[in-house]
Parts: sequence; C-alpha cells; structure tokens
Amino acid sequence: MRQPQEKIKNFSNALLNAKSQVGQCSTCFHLTANDECEICCNSNRSKELICVVADSRDLLALERTREYKGVYHVLGGLISPMDGVGPELLNISSLIKRVSEEAIDEVILALTPSIEGDTTSLYLAKLLKVFVKVTRIAYGLPVGSELEYADEITLARALEGRTDI
Amino acid sequence: MRLQLEVTKNRLLVIGPNGIGKSNLLEAVGLLGSLRSHRSANDKDLIHWNENRAIIRAAADTDEKLELELRRNGGRQAFRNGKFLKRQLDLLGPLRCVGFSSLDLDLVRGEPSLRRNWLDKVVLQLEPIYSDLISRYGKLLRQRSQLWRYNLGSEVESMDTLLDAFDTQMALISTRIHRRRRRLLERLNPLANLWQKKLSKGKEDLVLNYLPGSVLEESEDEALWKSAIEKQLFNQRSIEKRLGNCKIGPHRDEVEFLLNGAHARKFGSAGQQRTIVIALKLAELELIGQLYGDPPLLLLDDVLAELDPHRQLLLLEAVGNKHQCLISATHLDAFEKDWNSDSQILNLDN
Ligand SMILES: [Zn+2]
Repeated sequence: MRQPQEKIKNFSNALLNAKSQVGQCSTCFHLTANDECEICCNSNRSKELICVVADSRDLLALERTREYKGVYHVLGGLISPMDGVGPELLNISSLIKRVSEEAIDEVILALTPSIEGDTTSLYLAKLLKVFVKVTRIAYGLPVGSELEYADEITLARALEGRTDI
Repeated sequence: MRLQLEVTKNRLLVIGPNGIGKSNLLEAVGLLGSLRSHRSANDKDLIHWNENRAIIRAAADTDEKLELELRRNGGRQAFRNGKFLKRQLDLLGPLRCVGFSSLDLDLVRGEPSLRRNWLDKVVLQLEPIYSDLISRYGKLLRQRSQLWRYNLGSEVESMDTLLDAFDTQMALISTRIHRRRRRLLERLNPLANLWQKKLSKGKEDLVLNYLPGSVLEESEDEALWKSAIEKQLFNQRSIEKRLGNCKIGPHRDEVEFLLNGAHARKFGSAGQQRTIVIALKLAELELIGQLYGDPPLLLLDDVLAELDPHRQLLLLEAVGNKHQCLISATHLDAFEKDWNSDSQILNLDN
C-alpha cells in the first residue's frame, strides 16, 4: 500500500483540528467547543438531577425525547475487563466528586442493559448510594438493544418509569 | 453449490464417504430446526469457503416454508412463508428435531461439560429464550476472569465493589439456569428410566441426579437461591483470586447417572453407557413430542454404525415409524437390514 505522504499528513492534521475544536465539557464530559457544554450552561436545566450515560451519542438520544430537564454525566464508556476498561479509565471519580460536593437530589443511571452496562450501573450505585438517591431507567427496551437506537417514545417512557437500584 | 431434496419416506438414509457432505445435510436440517449447529459455534464454518452466504430452505408437510440465510460477514436472516422474521426464534416450531451424533456417545463417560451442553440443548428446545441466559452467563464468567488479570493497582476497594456487581448479576442468572436444568432432569428422569428398563429387558434402573455447581436449598425459591449463591460467590473470592477461576455456579454443574444405584460413569460397561445415551435420546424425543404434540425429527449423524447390531435394533424398535429419521452413514451395510427396509436412500457417492 502506497499512500502519498502528503495525503496522510493532511488527513491527520484534519483529525487533530477536529479534536482540538471539539473538546469535552469540564463538568459533564459531553462534547463541546467551549469549557462547559450548552446543557450545563443552560440555567433552565435543574442541576440537582444528573443522568449518567455511557457516551455523548446516548446523551443526544435522550435529549431528542425533550422529556429530561436535568443535566448529564458522560462516563466515556462502560466497565469491561475483557476490553481492558476498568473504572479508572472512565469519568467516575469526577462523578463521585460532583455528587459528594454539590447539592444533588437524584442520579439516574441510563446505561444499556448489557452485561457491561449492568456491571457499571451496579458499581456506580454502590458508590453513589451513600451520597444520593440512585435510580435506573426502566427498560421497556428489548434486551441487548442500544440506547442510541431506541425510539423517543420508548426512551421517554423509560425515563418516567425509573426504578431504585 | 446447490442441493435439493424431497424426503418421501419416513426414513432417509444418506450414504457416502467421509467428507462428501452427509453431515452437512443433517446439520442444515438441524440448524433450521434449532438455529444451532451441533458441530460448530461459528457460522463461517457453515458456509462454503468460496461463497459469501449459505441458504437453507425447507417446506414442511404442514405447508410451512422456512428459510435461513447465513452470511460470511456475520448475521443471519430468517424467513417464514416468505416473510422476514424480526426474531429468528420465530422460525422454530415446524421442524423440531433431536440430534444424535457420534459425539453424543461419550455423554456418560466424557467430560462434565458434555453433559452440561446436552442439558442446555434440551432446555433450549423447550425454551428458546434460554439462549439469552446462557450467553449472558458465559460473558459474565469471561469478564469476571479478566477482572483478576486486570491490574486494578492498589484500589482493593474498587475491586471488591466490582466483584459485588458481578456477584449480583451472576447470582440471579445462575439461579435461573440451575432452576431450568434441575426441572428438565426431573422431567427426563421417569422417561429415561422407562426406556432404560425397556432396552435392558427390565434389568436396569436408571436415575438422573442433578449435582448443581452452587449449593441450593431443596425447595425452589428464586430469592432464597439467589441470596445463597451471592453469599457463596463472596466466600470463595480468596480461592478464586489464587486460582483464577470462579468456583461457584452452573458452569460447575454435573449430572450423575446411577444404574441400579451404581455410578454408571465409573462402573458401567461401555455397552451400558451407550444404552443410557440411547435411553436419554429417546426420553428427549418423547418429552419434546409430548410438549408440542408433534413427534420431532430424529437426526442420526454417523452414529448408527457405531452401535452394535443389538442396540441398532433396540433403537429402531423404539423409534419405530413414529419419528421421521434422517440417518447418515459411510456404508449401507454398516447397519441392520431392518433399518433400510422402507427407506429412501440418498447416495452421495457419485
Ligand atoms: Zn456539560
């Protein structure tokens, strides 16, 4: 394979630019070009309610329901020892810091109901329960389905019918 | 490559040398009937090396048309009467079958995993959604064993919390797997014993014992079993840490066969052990037939010739004309003549 050197250089530069322009929110780790994302900056969103998602795509799926008025915390993945992903690679300590230092009423765990999602939910619930009420969204979702692909009505219903964990 | 075949008789004998594709034909029927292959866990192995996909189509005498398409780059598509099925499980029903291959002959004397796989295959016939439990449990085990290899540094607390998360999930799924396997053995036991008695002319009494890999209360109670397993998982952590594998759960289940009270695995003769396998298969056929009202197909893959003439005849007598049979063998003369009478013969030699 012989790619012209120039082309490769251009491509990687473009990637670097994209990355430097789209950073992560310093509070919730959602994608943003600024220090804080639009949701965290929005004074109409209740800051006492945090919804925990695996990544920004899941966050966007929940936003499309227009049902949720709280803020988020993006973990950046799910715990999966097989893939070498332990808790310390995810934005978990920042979440615990947020929950322990700010006035939070409830944390909603909205993670895919897979082994990895459930492991992460149970892990987080154990750590967060000492500070705050922890719930998980009720899955009317078919087993193994991804949040990203769930339709808005299903997601809205799941948000409403959340259960204690 | 394409093969089209009309099965006109109650028995189809597929004859041909090894490697010609006899087993593939039976496997295709089994795959359409159970969505599982008894020889391979990977769809890629089921597709001709030179092709990107394989299609199995069948018309059952109930006028149901079934179709399953396997793709090299992963994924399957199922159709019933030309209609695409969102859930492949909806393909199951019209072509229920019980497979009996030479691999099954080691069921009694072989490794415990053979008996667990056998149990799972039968449970799957009765409750297809069981596959979800099995695959989730397998994944939990793999993730858990990686957890020990994974360097969590000095954060012992975080490791304990993670293990708690695994214990909780494994306890629930283990409970559900144990319950299904135990219930199945309870149902199979009387049927298998009847067949064993028949096959041994009343001389042998067969008992199937479930030896679960977790300590379970006699009375079946989900909450009780779950919390007991959770405790056991917790208590074995230090051993697990040292040895690297989990000591509690359905992956350590065992089935014990007692013949007139003696362990058939240790003390049974090779012949007795084979008779038990036949009794188990007949019990399986009968149970599935009872539950669904239709006698399932019997797929005898390379197994008939492995049985001595006496047991071949016993099997023939037991199966009779009740079950449609697809039988593969290298030579027609490998088995008792009574088997080929009134049979359709497919010679794959030429
Ligand atoms: Zn934010």
